Amino acid sequence: MNLAICLLLQDDHEITIEELETRYNTSVTKGLTSTFASQVLERDGPNELKPPKGTPEYVKFARQLAGGLQCLMWVAAVICFIAFGIEVARGNVTAFDNLYLAITLISVVVVTGCFGYYQEFKSTNIIASFKNLVPQQAIVIRDGQKNQINAHQLVVGDLVEIKGGDRVPADIRIISGQACKVDNSSLTGESEPQSKTPECTHENPLETKNIAFFSTTCLEGVATGVIINTGDRTIIGRIASLASGVGNEKTPIAIEIEHFVDIIAGLAIFFGFTFFVVAMFIGYAFLEAMIFFMAIVVAYVPEGLLATVTVCLSLTAKRLARKNCVVKNLEAVETLGSTSVICSDKTGTLTQNRMTVAHLWFDNHVHAADTTEDQSGQSFDQSSETWRSLARVASLCNRATFRPDQEGVPIPKRLVVGDASETALLKFTELTVGNIMDYRNRFKKVVEVPFNSTNKFQLSIHELEDPLDLRYLLVMKGAPERILERCSTILIKGQELPLDEQWSEAFQTAYMDLGGLGERVLGFCHIYLNEKEFPRGYAFDPDEMNFTTSGLCFAGLISMIDPPRATVPDAVMKCRTAGIRVVMVTGDHPITARAIAANVGIISEGSETVEDIAQRKRIPVEQVNKRDARACVISGGQLKDMSSEELDDALRNHPEMVFARTSPQQKLIIVESCQRLGSIVAVTGDGVNDSPALKKADIGVAMGIAGSDAAKNAADMILLDDNFASIVTGVEQGRLIFDNLKKSIAYTLTKNIPELTPYLIYITVSVPLPLGCITILFIELATDIFPSVSLAYEKAESDIMHLKPRNPRQHRLVNEALAVYSYFQIGRCSFAGFTDYFTAMAQEGWYPLLCVGLRSQWENVHLQDVQDSYGQEWTFSQRLYQEYTCYTVFFVSIEICQISDVLIRKTRRLSVFQQGFFRSVKTHPKHASLGIMYLNSTQLVQWWFVPVPYGILIFVYDEIRKLGVRRYPGSWWDQELYY
Amino acid sequence: MAALKEKRTCGQRCEDFGRFVWNSDDGTLMGRTPEKWVYISLYYVAFYVVMTSLFCLAIWTLMYTLDPYTPDYQDRLKSPGVMVWPDTYGEEAVEIFYNTSDKASGMKMANILNEFLKPYNDTQQLESNNYNCTKGKYFIQNTFSAPHHTKWSCPFTQSMLGACSGFEDPTFGYNCSMPCVIIKMNRIINFLPTNHSDLPAYVNCTVLDGQENVAKIEYFPDRGIMDPSYFPYYGKLAQPTYVNPLVAVRFSLVGEKKAKIQCRVVSHKISYENFHDPYEGKVIFSLKAMK
Repeated sequence: MNLAICLLLQDDHEITIEELETRYNTSVTKGLTSTFASQVLERDGPNELKPPKGTPEYVKFARQLAGGLQCLMWVAAVICFIAFGIEVARGNVTAFDNLYLAITLISVVVVTGCFGYYQEFKSTNIIASFKNLVPQQAIVIRDGQKNQINAHQLVVGDLVEIKGGDRVPADIRIISGQACKVDNSSLTGESEPQSKTPECTHENPLETKNIAFFSTTCLEGVATGVIINTGDRTIIGRIASLASGVGNEKTPIAIEIEHFVDIIAGLAIFFGFTFFVVAMFIGYAFLEAMIFFMAIVVAYVPEGLLATVTVCLSLTAKRLARKNCVVKNLEAVETLGSTSVICSDKTGTLTQNRMTVAHLWFDNHVHAADTTEDQSGQSFDQSSETWRSLARVASLCNRATFRPDQEGVPIPKRLVVGDASETALLKFTELTVGNIMDYRNRFKKVVEVPFNSTNKFQLSIHELEDPLDLRYLLVMKGAPERILERCSTILIKGQELPLDEQWSEAFQTAYMDLGGLGERVLGFCHIYLNEKEFPRGYAFDPDEMNFTTSGLCFAGLISMIDPPRATVPDAVMKCRTAGIRVVMVTGDHPITARAIAANVGIISEGSETVEDIAQRKRIPVEQVNKRDARACVISGGQLKDMSSEELDDALRNHPEMVFARTSPQQKLIIVESCQRLGSIVAVTGDGVNDSPALKKADIGVAMGIAGSDAAKNAADMILLDDNFASIVTGVEQGRLIFDNLKKSIAYTLTKNIPELTPYLIYITVSVPLPLGCITILFIELATDIFPSVSLAYEKAESDIMHLKPRNPRQHRLVNEALAVYSYFQIGRCSFAGFTDYFTAMAQEGWYPLLCVGLRSQWENVHLQDVQDSYGQEWTFSQRLYQEYTCYTVFFVSIEICQISDVLIRKTRRLSVFQQGFFRSVKTHPKHASLGIMYLNSTQLVQWWFVPVPYGILIFVYDEIRKLGVRRYPGSWWDQELYY
Repeated sequence: MAALKEKRTCGQRCEDFGRFVWNSDDGTLMGRTPEKWVYISLYYVAFYVVMTSLFCLAIWTLMYTLDPYTPDYQDRLKSPGVMVWPDTYGEEAVEIFYNTSDKASGMKMANILNEFLKPYNDTQQLESNNYNCTKGKYFIQNTFSAPHHTKWSCPFTQSMLGACSGFEDPTFGYNCSMPCVIIKMNRIINFLPTNHSDLPAYVNCTVLDGQENVAKIEYFPDRGIMDPSYFPYYGKLAQPTYVNPLVAVRFSLVGEKKAKIQCRVVSHKISYENFHDPYEGKVIFSLKAMK
């Protein structure tokens, strides 16, 4: 990773303050001078992340015009122009069909291009609306004066102050600080707050404690520092630019469409060439045969398909948007459906992203607290006296406070000043005890000792509520083992009992149990200070601790966790049944990660890791057969020492994987490894650090609420509610659209043959042309668009979420069976067309046998008295109108067959009767389109009925096919006829 | 996925294709074992045999239901087309251009007319259509009274064209500036040109361009009348020897000796203003005699 290299070159964190002052021409007391600052601003530009170089709009548009199908249509249009050119050169000025066709092809490409571009534009807009519009402020010292300025005007060398709640405005070398803690989660993914001090503790700038990074949040304390990097030169800016280095990969659907275009082009050229040879053999001139060749190739292009695919995809995108998934790239909809691995973040996606009290231990019992998002769960028994004491300690020994003016907000959603565990406790006590602020006021705080890493506890001393009781109350919380050390008694059912061996053991068991759940456990104790020793007005000294801090009374344990979202276990279960692996990749501690994984079902019940097996069998870890262990937890440290083969091996051997304490780069490695194993990988992420992995993934899913702009830019899809369950909805829709696209394409392809055969018969048997080019375009672009789009609304045939994800190399969108079945079996509705054509001809006076070989006379503009089978004489125009009638009846026949076709395409396996005939209401525009057919001749009605038996035949035949496929799965019939 | 993303070279593609054509591992030829190929081919053969027989059955049924004497629909033939002979075309329209000094060009026109008039040969007509029709009346026949279960057809002989019959002048006037053209109206089964047989349809030629170049227009038979006894036509099967009545028109060209002429079959039942069909009820042609 070149990121690490360029970081190592920087030594701003290692040099002394004096060197730093000279380097940036600043002063750690007075800051920069305003004039110099403006010079530097001029030089470096504003302190903001440049939005990633957006693709120019015209390139985006051009991309819409250059997909696989589009290219096919361009080629066809060019061929049409050539054919038109040849015709004109030969003096046939009346042959405008080719020109019209070329123009139509081009307009279809352009119109669908516009449509796709508009869709993309719309979703980009939705994303843009998320951008934080409020400019960030920063406190800067310039010319020795404190000023508040817009953060983007900061420059290198500026002296800035940050305090709890601020966003760090740039990369800062800390000069002085008090209890300053920052949340680096957006950078490294670690959710533990990191303390920042002026000392250089590590040569790696990412590890050292004296640098605070741009866009991280200062949780508490204050600090002053000198800016060493601004804008894109900050660490986060570099990571963001790293993401743009990861190339865009082709989506599976794009690959499928390319594959499909290959098939079409191959077939078109094969057919075209065959008939070119046939035409030459029959005795046509070379140029004429060439035109036939071109016409056949062009006839193979499914003009309507492009529109169908685009519309189907955008319909699904729209449906997904309603379910809180915004799709940036239309093709991503389907990608989600073929996903086989989801690499999910923990914090915020699987969990609620807020510490919540999960368990309490008092009276020698573990009590479960309500961790649901909406407080709908069960509460525990609060009648015990011990609980009251514990609640008092938890309420008083807490520095967190609610931000003002939040009376209307539900308690779990209120904003709090304070660290995560204190926030959790505050909210918990507010919910159980009620009105904590008032409660705290009643117990006036006399002194407090804040938490620090050496003594690992926090205490405060309060006056009692009862003004007559002059004792002081000391309350303390901290690491349970440290608290226990200081206790000599324990509260059980309100009774202070001596803390003997038995209680110690009970405590240890409870502590281990709760810790094993991945929860952060705190111990609570209190003592009433001796009134004589500590009378009112006693000068408590927090530094000297001139008061009792041992022999306290242990009240209980409270454990906290970031609880999983309510919908996640279900969603994970769905993924499992759908054959999708959910891999957790988190920056959190392995035990926490594992606990949450077990909680949401990523590690299923009864699954063991290698270590578990070793423990159970009492054998060394090395002797355990790795294949026996379903689950595996790998930490970032272990991952660092693994080769990529080992990682692949681990992913292959253990179906249930959790990666803990991983760095953003490692996330990328994990994604790459999954892809090497042939999976289609979806990655969720929110931080800037996730953007390379989001980009690398087949589908990157960013979080709408917590996500950074960089992540949203790199992602293909955005979850507006940050909820993992939405991904599952997306997968379901993606799979459905794949199935439905298959149906749509099968439907669209079918009419290719009845459109082509008239021309082939025209060439070989020289009958008057049964179906004209404009009619074909009308079918492709007008009447058949609605039914093929309606298939996109079709509901799933079986529970698609119970199937394995499709194997992209085996389950193609358009496979041989589909093409062959559509072309050569359902394509037989050309027979219907010819029957109807010959009927119309014969009833007007032209017997089928007369038609054969009639072409040269029929098309001769100079013959005004061609005799029909009855001896009647026809002028050229009369013949031409008769030809138009033929086009119409052929068209009607295709349409009638296509009605059958749309009905049979509703299902691929189930009987239509099982699926329900008119379940998809959108089938009806089909019938409206029939009305259009009535245009040409009022006499047509009886010819509508000629193809009906063929339509019924198609329906019955397909029902038989489906019956066979259902009854004899895996049989020859199934292999050959199931698509 | 990774494998899907690889850019395959042309060589690899060819190799893949080669493997597709013959895969020695599973013994498959183009994706199927030979045995399966036999099955699928048989299936398709059977499938198409059935389909073709159904198609043939449909066509047979169609033919079976057709009336051999009159077509089921005549909506495309509401009004008959009209054409002129010699039918020599220029770029788009009929152009009867000839050279009086060049014998060959006149001969060409005469040959076309002779060829056209062959079925109207007097002897042949008297032989095949030896029936004495009542002139001036529609010849309605409700029964098949002619031999071989047919209907009578009235004879129309070349000689009825008088000066343009080619008997007196075998060049049909194409050696001088008095060329003959022959107008024929297309036949339509059961079509009557007028409602009353005492007002027969007749051919009327008007000069559209170059009126000063046309001195005289003569019609044969007299007044260009198409005698009602030739109507109605009962179709090929009922009247195998039927011939259309003809009208010959002789123009006397003077001056520049060129004109654009429209010949129309006049009857209120015959429309001539169909924009889409320039040959419906009329024919327009250019006539030019060069030196």
